[in-house]
Amino acid sequence: MTAIRTDDLRKSYGDVDALAGLSLSIESGELYGLLGPNGAGKTTAMSVLTGQILADAGEAAVLGVDPESDPIGVRERVGILPEKESPPSFLTPREYFQFVGSVRGMDDDAVDERTETWAERLSFAEKLDTLSTDLSRGQQQKTMIAGAFLHEPAVVFIDEPLANLDPIVQERVKRFLTTYREAGNTVVVSTHNVEVAAELCSRVGIVNAGELVAEVEPAELDPDETLLDVFVENVDAGEEWKGDE
Amino acid sequence: MSEESPSRWDRDKTVFREMLREEWRLHSELLGGGRFGAFPLLVVALVAGAVWLLDSTGTDPGAVVAGMHALAFVFGLHTGSIGFVGRDAVANVLGDVTLIVFSARTLPLSQARLLGIFVVKDVCYYAVLFLLPMAVGVAPAALAGAGIGLAAIPLLWATLVTTFVLGIGLTIAGVGLSAKGLPGRGLLLALLGVAVAAWYTGVPVVDYTPYGLYLDPGVASAGAAAALILAAYAVGAATFDPQAKPADRSVGPAFRRWLGRVSDPVAAKTLLDVSRSSGGFGKVLFSAAVLLGVTAGLVDLAADITGVAPSVGISFGAVLGLTGFTTYNWLTTNDDVASYLAHPIDTAAVFRGKLRAFLLLGPAVGLAFYAVGVLWRGTPPGEAAVGAVVLVGVACYVFGLTICLAGMSPNEFLFDTGLYAAFGAAIAVPLVPILVVAFALAPVSATLLAALGVGGVVLGALGMGLYRRSLGKWAAHHRE
Repeated sequence: MTAIRTDDLRKSYGDVDALAGLSLSIESGELYGLLGPNGAGKTTAMSVLTGQILADAGEAAVLGVDPESDPIGVRERVGILPEKESPPSFLTPREYFQFVGSVRGMDDDAVDERTETWAERLSFAEKLDTLSTDLSRGQQQKTMIAGAFLHEPAVVFIDEPLANLDPIVQERVKRFLTTYREAGNTVVVSTHNVEVAAELCSRVGIVNAGELVAEVEPAELDPDETLLDVFVENVDAGEEWKGDE
Repeated sequence: MSEESPSRWDRDKTVFREMLREEWRLHSELLGGGRFGAFPLLVVALVAGAVWLLDSTGTDPGAVVAGMHALAFVFGLHTGSIGFVGRDAVANVLGDVTLIVFSARTLPLSQARLLGIFVVKDVCYYAVLFLLPMAVGVAPAALAGAGIGLAAIPLLWATLVTTFVLGIGLTIAGVGLSAKGLPGRGLLLALLGVAVAAWYTGVPVVDYTPYGLYLDPGVASAGAAAALILAAYAVGAATFDPQAKPADRSVGPAFRRWLGRVSDPVAAKTLLDVSRSSGGFGKVLFSAAVLLGVTAGLVDLAADITGVAPSVGISFGAVLGLTGFTTYNWLTTNDDVASYLAHPIDTAAVFRGKLRAFLLLGPAVGLAFYAVGVLWRGTPPGEAAVGAVVLVGVACYVFGLTICLAGMSPNEFLFDTGLYAAFGAAIAVPLVPILVVAFALAPVSATLLAALGVGGVVLGALGMGLYRRSLGKWAAHHRE
């Protein structure tokens, strides 16, 4: 079953084409990586797919819902971890989860139970009652990750999920994402980290200049080929890359 | 390493130049360069207009000059807080920005030196772009013989600049002492107490400030002003630690309790933001207290000029209605619409939450200070009741108007010439007739009172109408 579909999505900011005809299809149960250089259009694509901004042209559907006409409907069904966002400064992580639970209409007991689970999973139980403004970047990132998954959505969009996390917590997040996908959920990871995409994703879409330029299944690559090779080949950096060798 | 490191002086010059460029770009980016560039001209026009108006009503121009010094002082306090309270506070006001003053973490620059250059940059920048236009604005009235000599304008500019410098210095000293735990805070309170007690008992406190130098130019007054400024910076240098980080603040969960009270998650979060950010609910009360003081001063001034006691109920109600703006400002300082869009909340729901928080806090604060004003100065019961209606009406109108013009960024009014002028005009249209009635037609007749009561209700409805009509515009704006 198709979880996410886009057809010729376009979005410009002045003279800059952030999306220049992005078309892709992601099936349920995939851990799909949107891999691209800085400014490739990954974050814009996720913002359009979650109804946060409007595309100039093209079509999109997430779990059968059009994010343009029903943005709230999409956001009710998905979880979102934006790259730059941090939890509200003057709420504690526990209160942030209560806020998330409240706007998502979750049962208080379920919120409390999942708060404890996530605090234990990502090792921030001792920070649950600290104002977010006083948390480190890493603790804030843990809070945002937990907030995106709190309602256990069928589709999750996460932008650079491992940023600011220590290696142990990174490993726990990777394992969780794999398990979450194996349970039949769809996870879209936006990243420019090739190693993360290769290790984590069942399928990777390489985005460059607002277009999908290649799709790769890392597990199916030839033994003498890496995802980095495919990436370099498709983002117009091939000659420069060879020159460095 | 073959390259020679730049000298400290070269580094300081580079940092100073880039900080100046950054300040200009920050304002230009926020507000559009052309419009920001016109702000000094607007300052000249506003000051010239105010001096002319007050002079034509027989007011001592000295009162205007005193007000300008007060403004420069408050401006210095505020400007100092941007650099010295920290990156998070800056982010709360300006969004996700990184200023050069915070670059000691990544570059071979001392934080203390960066802050020193930051002060010098601010003084130069605001001295030219804001304080000079303020001083120049007095020139037309001076030429017309309004009681301020043209020759005094350079001195006025100099004392405005030094007053601004004093404001920044006192912020540094205050922040430094506050960070020194209970003894530091105790000393700060004691110093404030001494200053207030001295003023209350008739000690001429202002004679020891740069304003004293303006009033009585001479070596003694210059020395007193310089001593005060040096003392403030000495205390700041001794106590302010730019690397200091406050301890983590842990609090008991309160979100659900607040949610139970207000039944709206955005409103609950907003009220928690206000209560937990610096100053707590006290900052909302402080803003209202300032307006109460201004109203009392205006009423006294009007009584002196016209010889007729104005209507306390109507005048206090109309001016305290402006707390609608200050309260809404505090309700929006800590977030923006974009921060909610990762959740299933649309723009209209965010503004609904702000409206609910405003209705709980805004009129209540305004009415509380109104009650203080009415009990303090006394007013007939009819005028008191209608004044309360006018207050709530004006507050709701100001709320709707602010959202209509600036959405969730009311701070933009401070710098955007176009918005500032539009807001000022839209406020003046209903407020001036109300104040004319309050100041010129007191005691207010029953017919006029009835008309004012209806006017208050209409204004409130107009504010809510503006709020509703704006929702579509802001929803589209935030999805662009």
